[in-house]
Amino acid sequence: MAVPKMKSQTWKKVWPYAAAVGTLLLIWQVAAFFLPPYLLPGVPTVLERLAAGITEPEFLTSLKESLFRLIIGYPSACLLGGLLGLLAGLSRGFAVYLRSLIAILQSIPPITWIPFLIILFGFGNVPIITVIIIASFFPMALSVMNATEGINRTHLEVAKVLGATKGQLLRKVYLPETLPSFITGAQVAFGNAWRSLIASEMVGGASSGLGFSIKFAGEVAQMTDVLLYIVIIGMIAAFFDHVVLEWLKRRVLKWRYIEGAK
Amino acid sequence: MQTLEIQRVHKSFGSLKVLENINLTIEKGKFAAIVGPSGCGKSTLLRMVAGLETPDEGTVQADGKVIKQPSPERMMIFQEHALYPWLTVGENVEMGLELAGVSKEERRKRAQEVLKTVGLDGFYNYYPSQLSGGMRQRVSIARALVMDPDVLLLDEPYGALDAMTRLTMQNELLKLWEGSGKTMLLITHDIDEALYLADQIFVMSARPGKVVQTIDLDLPRPRSRHSQRFGELRQEIMQLLGLEE
Repeated sequence: MAVPKMKSQTWKKVWPYAAAVGTLLLIWQVAAFFLPPYLLPGVPTVLERLAAGITEPEFLTSLKESLFRLIIGYPSACLLGGLLGLLAGLSRGFAVYLRSLIAILQSIPPITWIPFLIILFGFGNVPIITVIIIASFFPMALSVMNATEGINRTHLEVAKVLGATKGQLLRKVYLPETLPSFITGAQVAFGNAWRSLIASEMVGGASSGLGFSIKFAGEVAQMTDVLLYIVIIGMIAAFFDHVVLEWLKRRVLKWRYIEGAK
Repeated sequence: MQTLEIQRVHKSFGSLKVLENINLTIEKGKFAAIVGPSGCGKSTLLRMVAGLETPDEGTVQADGKVIKQPSPERMMIFQEHALYPWLTVGENVEMGLELAGVSKEERRKRAQEVLKTVGLDGFYNYYPSQLSGGMRQRVSIARALVMDPDVLLLDEPYGALDAMTRLTMQNELLKLWEGSGKTMLLITHDIDEALYLADQIFVMSARPGKVVQTIDLDLPRPRSRHSQRFGELRQEIMQLLGLEE
């Protein structure tokens, strides 16, 4: 009896996602009925292309290049942002400094740095990774800074009474208490990192990667490939955000998801 | 065990005078209570004994030594249970031992023992969010007891609990204290709680906080809340606090 109940509960969680994806595919397919295939190929055509395309070396290189940049840039940004946020939470002066710095950086779209960085470092990974870091460190820093500033005073005092040193306060109270904000910050930062990665590749930061590939497909008017890359770029982001980061969240914040048994 | 001495203590927060010329002595092993309305500075006084605040003037001493910072000899139990929600019951209780570098097996053994004495045997792996208010406060008492302190400072520990749980917890607290030789200092605005538990009651008035009366209780334990003497003392305190003509 328990099995069907489990199934219906999973379904309850899944159906809004399924409906959202379905709506988009439906709009696409309906539009495809009215347009010639070279302007807008239908869903089945692109899905077929997807099945064949994901084994092509060209595509795999493209994917590998993008993921490499992401895997270097995004964690560095998280680490940097987390560290700066923690420091700012502990020192009021540094908090004001960091907020001003972020306010300035936020008013400049990250992609604007590309020409500057290309002149400085040349084409390739360095300008793109730098843009990822600029774009994604500050949601992390802000989130962690706010959490550190708003830390529960009693939690700190309990530790002091129990004999905690400064370092122990940091490790045993500040860190676990701000952990939920690390995760929230990391989720927002991921969106920024992904967007700026693809955009940087498109505007010419490098001659490889998913962003470069979609731009190339557009230049040669290969609509099927353009749509294929849109689908892939979306799918990878959704996978990271809803599967990898969500899994991490539930693992690290186990105590938040525990059922009450009062 | 420690004798607590508070001498000529003054404290202000900005222009607000919180404590004015507080003098009191609590002999080692005694159960003392401070009763007063909210805003009379009784929590500030307790925090000074814990080492979390310093007086502007005067001294707060434990066994003749001036208290400058918190010490594992003096454990405080906070108003809200203040457990760490990300740690299990066992890990919360072990926190102080862990900070002091006690080995894992030793920590676990001592935590299990203390949890047994507060009646939470078998809750080692639960999270605080899974417990009721009374159970959480028991965990926070266990967290203090596991350090085997000389002095227990209780800051309205049962204020957030329902009336029935509160009475049970008061009896449990007496059982933990009796024969332990520990010095207890309880802050409360519940007059009956003070009368039921303490050997000595300091009555404080508010703005600025002053000790208006010290009452030594001669009632044997267990005390009846309905005895004549209990009623007289209750009336006396209420009059001192201006709650009754």
